Amino acid sequence: MSFSYNYFAGVDVGSLAAKAVILKDGDIFATGLLKSGVNSVESGLSALNLALDAAGLKKEDLTYIVGTGYGRVSAPYANKAVTEITCHAKGANYLHPTVRTIIDMGGQDCKAIRIDEDGAVVDFAMNDKCAAGTGRFLEVMAEVFKVKLDDLGAIALSATDTVPMSSTCTVFAESETISLVARGEKPENILNGIHHSIANRIAGLFSRVGIASDVFFSGGVAKNTGMKSAIEQALKVTIVRPEIDPQLIGALGAAVIARSFAKKEGLWA
Amino acid sequence: MGLKTLDKISAALQSRPLELEQLRKEGKKVVGWLAYNIPEEIIYALGLIPIRVGQGGDGRLVEVGARHISTKNCVFVRQALGQFAEKTDPYIQQLDLVAIDATCIQLYRLEELINFYFGYKTVVLGVPRNFATKEGHEYFRKEVEFFTKKLEEFAGVTLEQSKLEEAIDIYDGIREAIKTLYKYQSLDNAPLSWREVSSVINAGYNLDRAHYLELLKELIVEAEAKLSEPSRRREVEARIFLSGSLIPPGDTKLVDIIEQLGGRIVGDDLWSGLNFFLNLEIKEPTPYGVADAYLDRVPHGSLPYLDLKSDGRLANLKHQLQEFGADGIIYHTLRYCDAFTFKAGETKEVLGKLPFLEIHTEYSGSDFEAIRTRVEAFIEMIKSKKEIAELV
Repeated sequence: MSFSYNYFAGVDVGSLAAKAVILKDGDIFATGLLKSGVNSVESGLSALNLALDAAGLKKEDLTYIVGTGYGRVSAPYANKAVTEITCHAKGANYLHPTVRTIIDMGGQDCKAIRIDEDGAVVDFAMNDKCAAGTGRFLEVMAEVFKVKLDDLGAIALSATDTVPMSSTCTVFAESETISLVARGEKPENILNGIHHSIANRIAGLFSRVGIASDVFFSGGVAKNTGMKSAIEQALKVTIVRPEIDPQLIGALGAAVIARSFAKKEGLWA
Repeated sequence: MGLKTLDKISAALQSRPLELEQLRKEGKKVVGWLAYNIPEEIIYALGLIPIRVGQGGDGRLVEVGARHISTKNCVFVRQALGQFAEKTDPYIQQLDLVAIDATCIQLYRLEELINFYFGYKTVVLGVPRNFATKEGHEYFRKEVEFFTKKLEEFAGVTLEQSKLEEAIDIYDGIREAIKTLYKYQSLDNAPLSWREVSSVINAGYNLDRAHYLELLKELIVEAEAKLSEPSRRREVEARIFLSGSLIPPGDTKLVDIIEQLGGRIVGDDLWSGLNFFLNLEIKEPTPYGVADAYLDRVPHGSLPYLDLKSDGRLANLKHQLQEFGADGIIYHTLRYCDAFTFKAGETKEVLGKLPFLEIHTEYSGSDFEAIRTRVEAFIEMIKSKKEIAELV
């Protein structure tokens, strides 16, 4: 007895990481995640190959590929390109159909997205053109304190106090942080202040689009427990936890959309 | 195939700087003007040549302007100042006088700066904040009267009623023609695009107005001939309406992005666009009559809401959105253009559920990709909504 499956892939090339998700019919089958290089085409292909290897598949086995993230504009391996805003919406809806609000914090931007019951975007807002409130900002802070990026959130959660951070510009925040350390403030309290400062900035984005339950947190920064807690406090909400790595949500959404396109174009019944 | 009259307008524009040079040699004087409430009819009726100045989209000129003011002043004002400082623009080279109205306070300051730093001869027209009141009208009447007197002295002639009537007729004709072109560009079988209409408007600010009106009439005849051709089926399209800060000539970034991504601009309520030509009815051919008409039209965003429920700008915006069948609104704000950035949130709330995207930008290419992502997602959002609606 032989079974024939259809495979759909989503490839999300961001500024800091490239991600790929392969769906086997409707289920998550394999994933790939690595650091982005300078060449976004190579980064996307590498992430896709990683997922293909994990799945034991070849690129030819894929029925449809959708590219997303900033690398979507040059993704020759993809059948179509869709923005990461639409993809995060579909990805969150795939995992949790009750989600109506998404906070996506990636390497170089932050988005507030409102979606409907079908996972369609109804409104969104993005941070202005600066690195404040993004993965890159937190990377810089981790470098200042000489700690691992992955440990940043836990350190912030161990704080006994919150040192207010007045600057949200990455460059100025770095020098302000150095001044605070020189003043004798504890690193965990400063980090706690940094997380709350970012969370308050994100709350500003939601004044534009509003908030409705359930609230979902995606993107690389969503792995940071301190940020999740700070955002929950700033927005007065409880955030739904994804079952998979939150950094993969954009790629997952792209794979879900790939499946829809394949159906629309008669490639999959 | 494009409309031939558009090429004629382009050609007329190309030769205009030389034409102005010649006219000045013959003793004519050129008045550069800026903003929203300068009554061009009076300039024209006095035999002066009105030219609207100010361009956008040039980061280098912004830096030149920023040598004299703060980098936190409006980016359009910074570029305009840069243009006046460099004096390489072929129109700025021909100016004998610069007239600026005080609708926007930052533009009003531009007048002081170009006079102070570069010695341009200038005249200011005061604009009341309480524009809808009797006192506001009385103030503006006096301002227009004073403005007329200043121009009379400058021109060396007295304003004649017959000349003003003639000028009003020409400007009324231009206003009607622009409204007609806007209507045509929004149709399914549009004979020309919003971008083309926008270029036609910008060209008109530099050309001789009587000649321009003739060209507009010719363009309308040609466009109407195209309207009778069979309408082509369009795919599901995202019909975008532009609002917010001005989009002056030279600033094509947002428009380029929208069109590259398959969006179709179908209307605007920009003061550099359609709003300038709306609801301006001069009932009495006198400076007072002109003053009343300018003050009674759609208010500029720099003027305060006097009553949010009956605000003319918002009422006009709602009307235009419906008129042009817009699917969504892109509210464009320029960096440090306070008037429109302050009103963005309120405008969104007043419009309710219509898809609304706020784009905050300036004259540099650094935010091109960031804007592209936002606009692309916005178009995806509109198209997916329409596709679903078509299926039901």
